[in-house]
Amino acid sequence: MDNRKLQSVKEFESYRTKIAESRKDEYPVIYVCGGTPCLAKGSRAVAHAFKKEIESQGLACKVELRHKVTGCQGFCSKGPVVSFGNDIVYLEVKPNHVPEIMEKTVKNAQVIDSLGYKDPQTKKRSASFEGIPFYSHQKGMILKGLREIDPLEIDDYIARGGYASLVRAFAMVPEEVIDLIAESGLRGRGGGGFPAGAKWKSCRAIDSEVRYVLCNGDEGDPGAFMDRSIMEGNPHAVIEGMIVGAWAVGAHHGYAYIRDEYPLAVKVMKKAVEDATAMGLLGRNILGTGFDFDIKITRGGGAFVCGESSALMRSIEGKVGEPRAKYIRSVEKGLYDLPTVLNNVETWTNVPLIVNNGAQWYRKTGTQGSPGTKVFSLAGKAVNTGLVEVPMGTTIRELVEKVGGGIRGGRKFKAVQTGGPSGGCIPESLADLPIDFDSLSKAGSMMGSGGIIVMDEATCMVDVAKYFISFLAEESCGKCSPCRDGLPRMKQILTDITEGRGKEGDIELLEELCEVLSYGALCGLGSSAPNPVLSTIKYFREEYEAHIRDKRCPAGVCRELVTFRIDADACTGCTLCAKQCPQACITGERKKAHVIDQSTCIKCGVCRDVCKFDAVRVE
Amino acid sequence: MEKITIKINGKDIEALKDQSVLEVARENGIAIPALCSHPEIETQAGSCRVCLVEVSQNGRSRVVTSCNYPVRGGIEVRTDTDLVRRIRKGVVELLLSRTPDAPVIQKLARENGIEGSRFFVDEAEHYRNRCIACSLCTQVCEEVVGVSAISMLDRGRDKAPGTPYLKPSQACIGCGACAYACPTEAISMIDEGEVRKIWGREFKMLTCSVCGKPYIPEAQVEWIVKTTGKDRSFFDKCPDHR
Repeated sequence: MDNRKLQSVKEFESYRTKIAESRKDEYPVIYVCGGTPCLAKGSRAVAHAFKKEIESQGLACKVELRHKVTGCQGFCSKGPVVSFGNDIVYLEVKPNHVPEIMEKTVKNAQVIDSLGYKDPQTKKRSASFEGIPFYSHQKGMILKGLREIDPLEIDDYIARGGYASLVRAFAMVPEEVIDLIAESGLRGRGGGGFPAGAKWKSCRAIDSEVRYVLCNGDEGDPGAFMDRSIMEGNPHAVIEGMIVGAWAVGAHHGYAYIRDEYPLAVKVMKKAVEDATAMGLLGRNILGTGFDFDIKITRGGGAFVCGESSALMRSIEGKVGEPRAKYIRSVEKGLYDLPTVLNNVETWTNVPLIVNNGAQWYRKTGTQGSPGTKVFSLAGKAVNTGLVEVPMGTTIRELVEKVGGGIRGGRKFKAVQTGGPSGGCIPESLADLPIDFDSLSKAGSMMGSGGIIVMDEATCMVDVAKYFISFLAEESCGKCSPCRDGLPRMKQILTDITEGRGKEGDIELLEELCEVLSYGALCGLGSSAPNPVLSTIKYFREEYEAHIRDKRCPAGVCRELVTFRIDADACTGCTLCAKQCPQACITGERKKAHVIDQSTCIKCGVCRDVCKFDAVRVE
Repeated sequence: MEKITIKINGKDIEALKDQSVLEVARENGIAIPALCSHPEIETQAGSCRVCLVEVSQNGRSRVVTSCNYPVRGGIEVRTDTDLVRRIRKGVVELLLSRTPDAPVIQKLARENGIEGSRFFVDEAEHYRNRCIACSLCTQVCEEVVGVSAISMLDRGRDKAPGTPYLKPSQACIGCGACAYACPTEAISMIDEGEVRKIWGREFKMLTCSVCGKPYIPEAQVEWIVKTTGKDRSFFDKCPDHR
């Protein structure tokens, strides 16, 4: 491998020219998405069909199935996704579509519209990224690479302009790089939104021989898969950002901390580090500049709290991943008590873009206070879900209604939950709020790492709060008393409310506990834990009150508080529900309205699910 | 050490840079309740959260644990604001619901005007001991004694100190430093004649040649001899008769 090592910036540039020249294919590259949802929907069989077809026709064509190495194409709910460069994208592709695609699209550059996206309203179909609202309302600064680059091949990355920012950065003095990042206004994508330039600057200002740069790949929020997709789909972009950061702050060692639940990300990142090292882009004397920097991959042990900076650092040190007081910041005393810059996967991925295109270019996207884009994992009750990227400042409504295509099943849009367990719920009435760090915090939520869960009218907000508090109570490390002992008690109160044992004063007691946690807890996990509760109380207090006072769940979710009834007018007496009821508590004669015996009903909802006439009502 | 001036409750006070707020306050006769801090420990864990105070600097104010907040020139500390009192009271109430039988916690609760906890008390015996999981015992075992026989096990509400796999530890020397340091007297150490029982192990005690009282586990003597090179005969007599 050593013979691949590039000795100078000049050698690197000519290497790029050489491989870019050799990559001009006769036929377009066929990208078959191998992200987990697409795989589940059969993308492996689709790729296999392409391979067979190419072989039988004797074509010199390249299929990249990213099943081993995923490169998520984003539109998870409409997978398997097959795309061709930047223009054509086919959705829900089956192996039997492959011969037609080969004949028309691959050989004759024709677009097959019937394999495109069908607009639910206009019924029109489109197979271009531009013509599909899910894609056309996005801005693919970060995700572009995921759709196009083979993550296992460093040459593919270099051919498409990869590692170019190193050349630019090495031509500047480190302080200039820091100023550039500061000017760009880049803020940490991990959740807090701390200005990256300021962080780097204070780290460099500390007098120390050793400094570290770390990458936080311990994405643990339920429903979040942005960083995972980036690490799996474009690992070199993360590494490139880290090298620039190391040059800027004067660090020679870096760690990428990746949660072990992401074995593919670990594998892909490891290979990327090895390949970059072999090429002389990492290691000693990078591109002959005299600058040394290496990256080690550390696997997380499965604790949510290790996404917290100080716990993450303890974990890398081989100690128990517990947070500690951060009265002295980690830029001063971080890993091994030495100056450390920790940024998240997405933040690092932004760095090469800024260095290559300049701060002013970067500021053109996004808002004044939060420039750039943000990658979200859009999940929940939206029609279209998946991995999306929009400019900062896009409103929640645009994200849900345009990219997400509105709410499934014609139901009403009720709220979005942003920021995972540390975030909060924002009601539909505030959906015109722009998504940026400051607006979301002001509304009582937070950006978090980028999970967005869309909720419809059939979502109980007390139940949502209970879900997140239960998650956090499980994940609390147990070091400090407010979090360790407070969260189980909050969970108990919320459980009581959802099960009909709520009493007057419970809301106030919850608010009191929230205050103790926000001020008293040791780390961010505990101090932000109240957000799911406080935001739902703030915007949906009447829902809490209905549970407590009327013993009623307005959304019809909390089992102890709902009653299933058969609407006698709608019931045709088909007896299906009576046959399926596990309690045998539905009685009635054939062709006559049926009745549920409430005394034995366990509210499992089977009757409602099987009823073909929508006659089972939840009250 | 650099001398600096800080304000505590409006009074100018001289301190050394990087001393903890708690240390400075105590040196100056200002009481701050605290459970898990200990002068022999290098880095205070700050886990009990009882020693909270409000610190303001450059017009920004925040609630911090005084045991590990390093003092810097120009900071202003307030130990008794409404906010601090509210949060401390909340913390103590939570501790009371965890360990209702610990006298130290009961006393702290009374001092903070808590009649009884409004929260559920864990019924399982595991939670009903007096341990507040502050980890001071394990820190003392590691930093002061140097044997690391116990560590914090599990996480969340199940977190508790213990020996590896809860089996009798071969590393333990029976010194009982953990039990002496424990702020809530949660660690059981029973001396019966020439035997000490702690952490599920029995230790034979050495007897003073003058008064005949068993006073130190033999394992501890061996540890001290091994690590300090002290003569074994030094331990023939107990400290009262040396």
